[in-house]
Amino acid sequence: MLRMTKLSKVYRTHMIETHALRGFEIQVNQGEFVTVTGPSGSGKTSFLNIAGLLEEFTDGEYILDGVNVKGMDDNARSRLRNEKLGFIFQGFNLIPDLSLFDNVDVPLRYRGFNAAERKERIEDALAKVGLASRMKHYPAELSGGQQQRVAIARALAGSPKLLLADEPTGNLDTQMARGVMELLEEINAQGTTILMVTHDPELAVRSQRNVHIIDGQVSDLVRKTPSLYDTNAGTHVA
Amino acid sequence: MLSYYFMLGVRSLRRNPALTALMVLTLAIGVAASVATLTILHVMSSNPIPQKSERLFVPLIDNGPLEGYNPADSSHDFDQMSYIDASNLLKGGFGERRTALYGIGPEIEPARKDLPVISAQGVAPTRDFFAMFDVPFLYGQAWSEADDKAGADVVVLSRAMSEKLFGGGVNPVGQRIRMMGFDFQVIGVLQDWLPLPKFYRLIGGPGAFGQQEDVMIPFSSAIRHETQHNGGMSCSSRRDPGWQGLLNSECTWLAFYIETKSGADRAELQSYLQNYTDDQRKLGRLKRNAPNLVFDVMEWLEFNKVVGKDSRLSAWLAFGFLLLCLVNTIGLLLAKFSVRAAEVGIRRALGASRNEIFQQFLTETAVVGLVGGVLGLVLAFCALALIAMQSKELAVVAHMDIEMLALTFVLSLLAAIFAGLFPTWRACQVTPAIQLKSQ
Repeated sequence: MLRMTKLSKVYRTHMIETHALRGFEIQVNQGEFVTVTGPSGSGKTSFLNIAGLLEEFTDGEYILDGVNVKGMDDNARSRLRNEKLGFIFQGFNLIPDLSLFDNVDVPLRYRGFNAAERKERIEDALAKVGLASRMKHYPAELSGGQQQRVAIARALAGSPKLLLADEPTGNLDTQMARGVMELLEEINAQGTTILMVTHDPELAVRSQRNVHIIDGQVSDLVRKTPSLYDTNAGTHVA
Repeated sequence: MLSYYFMLGVRSLRRNPALTALMVLTLAIGVAASVATLTILHVMSSNPIPQKSERLFVPLIDNGPLEGYNPADSSHDFDQMSYIDASNLLKGGFGERRTALYGIGPEIEPARKDLPVISAQGVAPTRDFFAMFDVPFLYGQAWSEADDKAGADVVVLSRAMSEKLFGGGVNPVGQRIRMMGFDFQVIGVLQDWLPLPKFYRLIGGPGAFGQQEDVMIPFSSAIRHETQHNGGMSCSSRRDPGWQGLLNSECTWLAFYIETKSGADRAELQSYLQNYTDDQRKLGRLKRNAPNLVFDVMEWLEFNKVVGKDSRLSAWLAFGFLLLCLVNTIGLLLAKFSVRAAEVGIRRALGASRNEIFQQFLTETAVVGLVGGVLGLVLAFCALALIAMQSKELAVVAHMDIEMLALTFVLSLLAAIFAGLFPTWRACQVTPAIQLKSQ
């Protein structure tokens, strides 16, 4: 699903160079639920941004679902992002003046689906997260947990192959966090690959595999339970 | 996607009503100022008779004295024609149609005793005038060639004058009016007809933006009645006193127009005039030996500087003001878009390319432009109404036609898009990763 080989990311200013990732290697297989942990500044977010095609990398190779993304122009990257990836953020990142329906509609518009197909997908996605009855509501009218569910519905509506989650429970209380995590597990169980950055060791142990990053490199890979969907899950690549 | 972006644009108007209102107002004021001055300039510089302006010619013959004449001086001290030349050219019969004309200011004594004597504005052309300039009749028709030859006392009235004298909806053809102490038979009533600029009577009188004349009588009749001319006259040499003295003089006081079959006949007209002036020189006239000038309608307007420097300057100033408004709009759009960096980040993460963000935000500014156009149109109408109140001449030109109406929207739209280019480009440069993390 995702493979990074000898990947590096360097941030340059006039004065200094910061190596966010160096010789970074990882492979995530179809259907896996992988958590990424590491201390602050270790490179987790850079990794997730590069994985999500939101940032370019400096050197190395990145293959996403069989497509080498190096050198792709903005249009091609955006199209690939739209078709293959779904995002869930810590801060939910819903557009406040759009209804839940319209928020979920955003990625589908860029995909070019017709109105009927968009409607069907939006209703399905919102039903999947238990918010079908509130599609005319606005984000401000929902609790944090509900907003995150909408974000998940938005990420799922386009049927992505890989769901990237950046501390999706970071802004939620324990009960809501548990609900969101159960939802993610359910989505994974239905075949969607999930790559989740988290600080929470409890959540990390619930995934099939945990990748720990220190100083921009994968320090170890901890195998948890074998994936139901991929026999290669947990292959050591670092 | 354009309809989606348009819908987002309409929604974004509500997002920050105060900022939106400020942008729309700034744009509308700039557009209104530009459109109001441009409307006036447009009317002033428009072709008053586009269907045949290229084959309607004004010939000018330099009949000034030799004293003080400098052939190298390109400025002209003559812009009308003497009676001698006008009557010769009428008799000469060159072209399809021809007319000499001059302004008159006759007094009309209404048959109704309750009405006072009316000081009318009029013009005295030949019968060809009506066909040459496509003058529309409400009742009756132009006078005949025989009337021209005989100097008959016939009159064509404007609709307004007809209604004043005979009442609305009444066909007065065949009736008589007392004018200048003589009885004139009404032979026709014109529909409202006011070509702008009023190219056929630029010299003297009310000028290029005067009102429609109240009466028209045959040129020959006006001459026969020794009707004083109401307009400009240039006499650079001595003349004998009296009416006959004026007719025999080299004073220039008549306008003259020739209609040819096509614009290509201009060279033939030049040649005809050259032959005519050569003949006149043999008779001892036209001592300057200056070249004859021929203007078509648009050249004639240009020659007479119908669009003054003031009007052009006003237009430039208005556009300068629009530019100032645009700079303000750019600032407001930058403020509006800067608070939407997070939304840009989200949309980018969800698959929008920079191009798509650019299209979305530019469509939003176009929506602001459209709303600004509507308000600008209202303000432009108000500005034109204010301008029209300043004078009768301005009232004639300060009205908006369909072209200017369309221009208001196009200008507003283009101005908004122009103002939106930089803020939109800035919005597209948002790094989504940073925005998404900072939320």
